[in-house]
Amino acid sequence: MKGSTLAMNKNKFVYTAFLAIAFAATFSACRDKRSTGLEYARNMYDPIAYNPDQPNKNFKDGKTAQLPPAHTKPVGFTEYDEFPNTLEGYQAAGVSMVNPLPVDTVNLAQGKHLFDVFCSPCHGTKGDGQGHLVKIEKFNGVPSYFAGSSSRGGEMKALTAGKIYHTITYGVNNMGSHASQISPTDRWKVVMYVQELQKQQ
Amino acid sequence: MRDISMILKNVWKSLFVFSAVSVIAVSTVNAQDAKEGRTLFKAKCTSCHALDQKMVGPALTGVSDRHSEEFLLKWIPNSQGLVASGNPEAVKLFNENGKVAMTSFPELDEAKVKDILAYIKEGEPKAAKTDGGAVAKDESTSGLSIAGIVAIVIVAIVILVILGRASKLLERLILQKQGIEIEEDVPLKVGVRKMFKNKKFVMFFILCLIICLGSFGWMGMWNTGVHTGYQPVQPIKFSHELHAGINQIDCQYCHSGAFKSKNASIPSLNVCMNCHKAVQARDKYDGEISPEIKKIYSALGYDPETQKYDESKSKPMEWVRVHNLPDFAYFNHSQHVVVAEDAIRKAKGLQPTEPVCFACHGPVNTMEEIYQYSPLTMKWCINCHKETDISGQKNNAFYAKVIEAHEKIKKGEKITPALLGGLECGKCHY
Repeated sequence: MKGSTLAMNKNKFVYTAFLAIAFAATFSACRDKRSTGLEYARNMYDPIAYNPDQPNKNFKDGKTAQLPPAHTKPVGFTEYDEFPNTLEGYQAAGVSMVNPLPVDTVNLAQGKHLFDVFCSPCHGTKGDGQGHLVKIEKFNGVPSYFAGSSSRGGEMKALTAGKIYHTITYGVNNMGSHASQISPTDRWKVVMYVQELQKQQ
Repeated sequence: MRDISMILKNVWKSLFVFSAVSVIAVSTVNAQDAKEGRTLFKAKCTSCHALDQKMVGPALTGVSDRHSEEFLLKWIPNSQGLVASGNPEAVKLFNENGKVAMTSFPELDEAKVKDILAYIKEGEPKAAKTDGGAVAKDESTSGLSIAGIVAIVIVAIVILVILGRASKLLERLILQKQGIEIEEDVPLKVGVRKMFKNKKFVMFFILCLIICLGSFGWMGMWNTGVHTGYQPVQPIKFSHELHAGINQIDCQYCHSGAFKSKNASIPSLNVCMNCHKAVQARDKYDGEISPEIKKIYSALGYDPETQKYDESKSKPMEWVRVHNLPDFAYFNHSQHVVVAEDAIRKAKGLQPTEPVCFACHGPVNTMEEIYQYSPLTMKWCINCHKETDISGQKNNAFYAKVIEAHEKIKKGEKITPALLGGLECGKCHY
C-alpha cells in the first residue's frame, strides 16, 4: 500500500515539475508586442524637456514643434526663394537665378546622392522619367529631362538652372514642393546634377 | 408566298451575320485603340489628369459626352491656340479650370487622340483580384485558428473532468449495490497537509519554486526597460513594407533629417502629400479613396474634391514613438549614416542595395508595421563600438580633421577646441 502511494506521488512530482517549468517558460517568453514590457524607473527615460513630437499645453495649438517667428533665419541659411509660385515667378526665376555653387566633384557627388534619394523614385536615376514608381505604374506622366516639351513651355532639355530650382521649391502639376525636405543650398546641388544628366544625353 | 418568306429569311440571316461581324470588328478595333491609348494616356496625360478624380486638370471619364470629338481633336494638340483664337467652348473650359494652361501636344495626331479617347471611354481594365483582401483573410484565419485550438483544449479538459467524476460516481454506486462499505475520501486539506510532511515532496516543491521564480526573475531583469519587438498601434496603418519595400522609396526621402542631423525626423504630412495628392489607391477600394489616405487628408483639412487646404480644420498626427533613447544617452544619426556609413556596412555585412539604416533598424522593407529591431541597450552600443573597424577611412572628411589636429599637436602649433568640433551646437545643447 505504501509503495503504491509513493509511486503515485512520484508521478505527481514529475507532473507538477513539468507544469511548473512549462508555466515559467511560457510566461517569460511571451510578451505583448504592443507594450514596452517591464520597466523600472520610467521617469529616467522620459524626457525632461519637451520632444518635438510631444503634445504641449503651453502653446495654443498644443504642439511642441512651433514655427520659428516670422522673418527669422537659421544661422548659415541662405534664402533664394524670392520668386512667387506663379508662371511669372517661374519665368523670372528662369531668367535671373544662377547656381551660386561652383561645379566640382564634391558638389556633384552630394547632388547625386540627393537626386537618388529625392528625385530618382519617379524621375529615374538617369533622369529619363522612368523611375521605379513609374515602372510599377504608381506614378505616371513623369517627364524626361532631355526629351519632349515642358508643360510650362519650352524644351525640357533647355530648362535653365533657375527654372529647375523653382520647380524643386514649389513643385508643378503632380510633383509636390520639396522645399521642406531639401535645403536651398542642397537644391542647388540637385540642380547642378540634373543639368549634368542633361549634358550626358 | 414561300419565296418571299425564304427571301426574308435570307435577308434576316445576312443582316444578323453582318451585324454580328461588325460588332466583333468594332470591339476588337476599340480594344486595340484603347490599349494604345492607355500607353499614351499614361505617358502624356497622367501628370495632370486622372480618369475619375480631379487633379491639376478635371477628371476625364465622360469627356466625350461633355465635348464633341471635333472639339477635342483640336483642343488636345493645341489648347492654348484654341483659347487664343477665341473659340467660345475653349475659353469657357479654360476659365472653368482656374485658367491653368494645358500643355500643348503637337506630337499627338488625330489617330493618337482618338486612341486616347477610346481608352478614356472604356476605362481601366479591371484587375482580377487584389492581393490586399487575401492577405487580410489569411491574418484573420490565423487568429481564429489559435482561438479555436485554445477553445478545443479547454473543452477537452472540461469533458475529461466531467467523465472522471461520472465514472467515480458510477463505481461508487456499483460498490454500494454490492454491499461493500467504502472508506470516505480523505478530505483535500488533510491530503495536502500529509503531502507536505513528506520531505522528498517538500524538497521537490522548493526546487520547482526556485526554478520557476529564478527563470522569471532572470528573464524579467534582462528585459526590463528593453523594448525589442515593441510595435505600438499607429494612428495611420502606414506600411514600411509597401513604401520602402515594394515602392523602393529611399528611407531618407521621408526621414530626411537622418543624414544631416541628430534626429532622423518623422516626416510632416506635407511629405506624404508629395505622392498622396495623386496616389489614392482607389483601385483597391472600389473607386473610393483609401481610408488610411483619407486620414492624411482629414488631419490636414484637405479636400480632395476642390484640392484646397483648410488650416482651421488641421490637427497634428500623433504617431507613437517606437525608438526612444533616454535624454542621458546622446545619439546622432548623421554621425552614423554619413561619417560611419562604410565602416558600419562592412561590420554588419550589408548588401550594397540595402540602406545603411538596416544595420540597426533591421529589415524595415519587410515590416508591414514598424517595430523596434535592436535592443538599444548600452551593451549593444558598446559592443558595436568595440568591434567595428574604422581603419582605412582615407577619404572621410571627419577623420581627415582628426589627423589634421594630430599633426598640429605634434608640431606644437596652436590648437583650439573649435578645431576639434567644439563649436558644434550639440556638444552642449542636446
